[in-house]
Amino acid sequence: MTTLQKDEDGTFSNTEPKRVKVYILENNEWKDTGTGFCTGEVSTVTTLPLNIDSDNDTEQKSAFLMVSNEEFPANILLKSKLEGNIEYQRQEETLIVWKDLEGHDIALSFEESLGCDRLCDFIVQVQRHIAKNISLVAVRSGDEGVGSIHEIITAPVSLPGTQSEQNTETLYDSLKILNENTAYQFLKTETVEFVLQSDYIKILINCFDIAEENRALKDLFLLSNIIKTLILYNQRDILEYMVDDDHIMGVIGILEYDTEFPNVKSNHREYLKKGAPTFKEILPLENQDLKLVVKKCFRLQFLKDVVLVRFLDDHNFNLFMDIILDLQTCIIDFLEVDPFLENILKLYDLRKEEEKEFTDLEEKRNDGIKLLHQCVQMSKNLEERDKTKFYKALVRMGLFNVLSYAFYVVTDPNIRILATETIITIIEHDILLIRNVASKNSKLYSRRKSPLPGSQTSEDGLKNLTPMSDEMKLLKILSKILLTDKNPGLREQIVQALNTLLHPEGCFNNLDGDFDGMGSGSMLNDFNYRLNSERENNFDSATSLNNEYTNEGDMNSSLDSLDNDQEFQLQEYFNDFYKLIAPILFAPLIEKNGSTNEAHDEKGQYDDFLLIQLVKLISFISTEHTRITSRKFILESDVLKQVCRLIKPGHILQLRLTAVRCIKNIICLDDKYYHRYLMTNNLYDNIFVLMEENKKKDNLTNSCIQDFFKIVSSKCIASNMDKSSIEELRQQTGITVSKKNNFSMLNKYLVNRFGDKFAELLDIPSVGVMVSLCEAEKMETAKKSKTLTDHILSKVDTIIEEEEDIPMAVSHASPIDHNETSEIRKRLRGDIDLIDSTTTHEAGINLQDELPSKRQN
Amino acid sequence: MMKIDRTITLLKQGKHITEEAVYSLCLKAQELLMTEANVTHVDTPVTICGDIHGQLHDLLTLFGKSGGVEKTRYIFLGDFVDRGFYSLESFLLLICYKLKYPDRITLIRGNHETRQITKVYGFYDEIMRKYGNSNVWRYCCEVFDYLSLGAIINNNIFCVHGGLSPDVSTIDEIRAIDRKQEVPHEGAMCDLLWSDPDDVEKWSLSPRGAGFVFGQNEVNQFLHTNNVELIARAHQLVMEGYKEMFDGGLVTVWSAPNYCYRCGNVAAVLRIEDDLQRNYTIFDAVQPQDGVGNAIIPTKKSQMDYFL
Repeated sequence: MTTLQKDEDGTFSNTEPKRVKVYILENNEWKDTGTGFCTGEVSTVTTLPLNIDSDNDTEQKSAFLMVSNEEFPANILLKSKLEGNIEYQRQEETLIVWKDLEGHDIALSFEESLGCDRLCDFIVQVQRHIAKNISLVAVRSGDEGVGSIHEIITAPVSLPGTQSEQNTETLYDSLKILNENTAYQFLKTETVEFVLQSDYIKILINCFDIAEENRALKDLFLLSNIIKTLILYNQRDILEYMVDDDHIMGVIGILEYDTEFPNVKSNHREYLKKGAPTFKEILPLENQDLKLVVKKCFRLQFLKDVVLVRFLDDHNFNLFMDIILDLQTCIIDFLEVDPFLENILKLYDLRKEEEKEFTDLEEKRNDGIKLLHQCVQMSKNLEERDKTKFYKALVRMGLFNVLSYAFYVVTDPNIRILATETIITIIEHDILLIRNVASKNSKLYSRRKSPLPGSQTSEDGLKNLTPMSDEMKLLKILSKILLTDKNPGLREQIVQALNTLLHPEGCFNNLDGDFDGMGSGSMLNDFNYRLNSERENNFDSATSLNNEYTNEGDMNSSLDSLDNDQEFQLQEYFNDFYKLIAPILFAPLIEKNGSTNEAHDEKGQYDDFLLIQLVKLISFISTEHTRITSRKFILESDVLKQVCRLIKPGHILQLRLTAVRCIKNIICLDDKYYHRYLMTNNLYDNIFVLMEENKKKDNLTNSCIQDFFKIVSSKCIASNMDKSSIEELRQQTGITVSKKNNFSMLNKYLVNRFGDKFAELLDIPSVGVMVSLCEAEKMETAKKSKTLTDHILSKVDTIIEEEEDIPMAVSHASPIDHNETSEIRKRLRGDIDLIDSTTTHEAGINLQDELPSKRQN
Repeated sequence: MMKIDRTITLLKQGKHITEEAVYSLCLKAQELLMTEANVTHVDTPVTICGDIHGQLHDLLTLFGKSGGVEKTRYIFLGDFVDRGFYSLESFLLLICYKLKYPDRITLIRGNHETRQITKVYGFYDEIMRKYGNSNVWRYCCEVFDYLSLGAIINNNIFCVHGGLSPDVSTIDEIRAIDRKQEVPHEGAMCDLLWSDPDDVEKWSLSPRGAGFVFGQNEVNQFLHTNNVELIARAHQLVMEGYKEMFDGGLVTVWSAPNYCYRCGNVAAVLRIEDDLQRNYTIFDAVQPQDGVGNAIIPTKKSQMDYFL
């Protein structure tokens, strides 16, 4: 017998002595048999006295747990062989307990857990190499000390047979073993190792081919269950293994048989071979590894979505998703650096038309748009940073060429839809990305053309007016498509793209994100170059109008948090939009010069579904954009007149109601200029025409208009409550807080103008409220007229100032509007009626219509 | 009408409907639904059905077991889409029936009939899978906006997807909601689609993050104020298919058997007779079918090439 100093396999050696107490169970009591040092030792008994160094393993190894007395090392307290099917238990941190083959219960209590660790490692090694049938199980007390948890650390693992010919019985055994091995992590890990090492899937596929040939149904179902069990192991390596080129068809074939549906067979293989999507290479994809990743990705999706769709539980499903995401990330990473995508994008460079010798160029280009669409769809799941990186790469490679191709050359709406969807995804992720790179692209141009700010002549400035920034170009393209393309799906998408591009908050989402080298700083510089020149050119037209609103306090507060640069930049962006794009986009809603108020000429030209989208966009810009900017456009171009005209009969009901909703949104802004404009122009008339048609019906229209009444009445009550608290404040402190009272005005206006109609609608609760509010106000006004007059006189100065602040629509409108204005004023005055002093004529109106102030808290 | 019949046949077989056909169906549906009230009046006898969740084959069973739309009046309490594999087909089939038999079928909006929810719970993905772009999803979502918010049977039974709202004490108040909008995150319209009943003393916060939890007091109050005897709603899985609560003042009806193809529940529909007697019909999930291929296993329908 020789004690090995060094393990020949290089896997393990004798252990360092560790201090233990040895216990033996006698009469159900643990008896302390002494303290000593424990070692694990391996000895080799050579059965034949041959060359020991030779590899033909003729020696037999044995392993022992030894404890020698700490005081008398020669005194062996314990020598126990690791053999047979002994189960060693590691209890808690420091105990190893077992029953040897003679039936003795032995326990080693280690001084420290480290010692116990070391001996456990030894047992594991012995199990692997010498005594394969022993096992080591960790036993811990369960949560809150209840029960105990057993976890196998090492044990003999039964594995399925690997013989190439199998029958029902062996397959059944294999399935059973595989199932049982899921019970412990250790067994599972060992099995996974086995499956990968022995190419077990291939063995199964071979069996499957034979079984299918022989129509051995039982075997086929067993094989299917074996594959499913392996999928339930939820191991990435196994799944990836299943979907590589060598295994995928076999695996999918096996899964065509399903014990849940014993009388039918799916035809996944046939589908994959014939009908299935094929991997199309627009240009050859050189990188073979990537090709495989692409295929694996598709196959995993096919398994997830089709073959296994009913089978996967959340756990499996998540693993599939994780792997797919990982592969996708890998694909996207690759595409960013490989010339593959760049070469495809070159196909759209119209300047180099003659260089492209492909006969199927058009098809390639259309396919390229599909490819981009897929890339971008795929990228949706990536992390934000990765997305930014990828989209930036796309834009750099020439994404804009593709988009212009899609929008200017392509006529197939399906291709256009994909292009739009692509762009939506990108701008929804980060609108600045496009704007950034756009300004970078125009950098060369603007550096060349535009002199430094301040030094430019008016001629240079004129040149700079003509080129439109890429972002405005994009908005213009989208607007034109919206107006001309009748495909409903495309229209919806364009509107979404416009919504995103025109959403003020979207513009600054990722400003502080990673822009390597194209940081916001440089972008701002680009902006300033371009904008400075434009500003000066438009000085005459822009400044004078802008000043109209400089007193306006009711700015969109969502921008408060932005710093000045950003705000400036944003403001310029929207100024550009309103100057260059809005007149085109909203052309169907803008009255042409010289044309009469009749909308009939334009009816035919634009269909109602388009008008629905445009009216929604008006609603959107009025509520989301900085008030002064959007209102200026909306009121100056008289868009609302056209919107209200759309409420008339003759249009589809969807459009008529969309227009009503637009008006509802605008009155909810509680903006005095809008309120005055709508009343001055009598734009509510058509709503009452529509109500007249539906007053006896319980339908959507009726509800839509009831909602309108509800808004007016409840806001009116709310502002009256505000008013009384303001009055209280005035009486207590002498401070007058001006408070807008748009809704009382509106209520009064509506009740007076449509009183006869209201009489028929009194069963609607909010209509009743509106009428009585109006009555109450009249009485209150009568009471207060005296004090009001005094108050007004004291405020004359303020009033004169306020008078200069009349909005565009009133002050710059045509004489006819002026007349209308004074007419409505007269009417309103008639309502107030009791203020008789001529000096307070105008003042009376202004008091009812005080400056909008910041909302009271 | 011929066209609708043909579409119905295709839908029942789970076959592909062209984008154009879906668009024109959806437009017609908009026009029809606009004429309906927020709370539609329905006469007895009528069969009330709960959540469907894209389980087309179980929906077909439902019609089979309960008389069929040719002979029976139906109210569907919403949640036609998401979860199951055939959201589109289920919803379109109901739309087709609605167009063909406008008086015999009432469709109420569920909390899943919104853009936001369908993007997360499957309908959007299903459309992307079947069509490769999101147009059809958009068309359907537009129709969702027009669906009624509730129904009232013989002025006696109030039907709604989720439950009550603290902002709604009379059914009449629901009339003043402009329902054509994405379901808001709060307010009456939201609550009607999201709330749940439970043993609570008063209005309580809902763990769903939208709507409220209401108890017997709220139910009794509502029944009394509106002079109705029953609130019929869906929205919650019931293993037995239906569950009456609060001394029979409220019932939950669930019509998606073996929900998500794995919950193991049965489904139910509730028939209200002329004398307002309640009859429940219970049914199981469809078994796999032979012959026409396995109709349960979804297949990839469109054949799109892949480039990546």
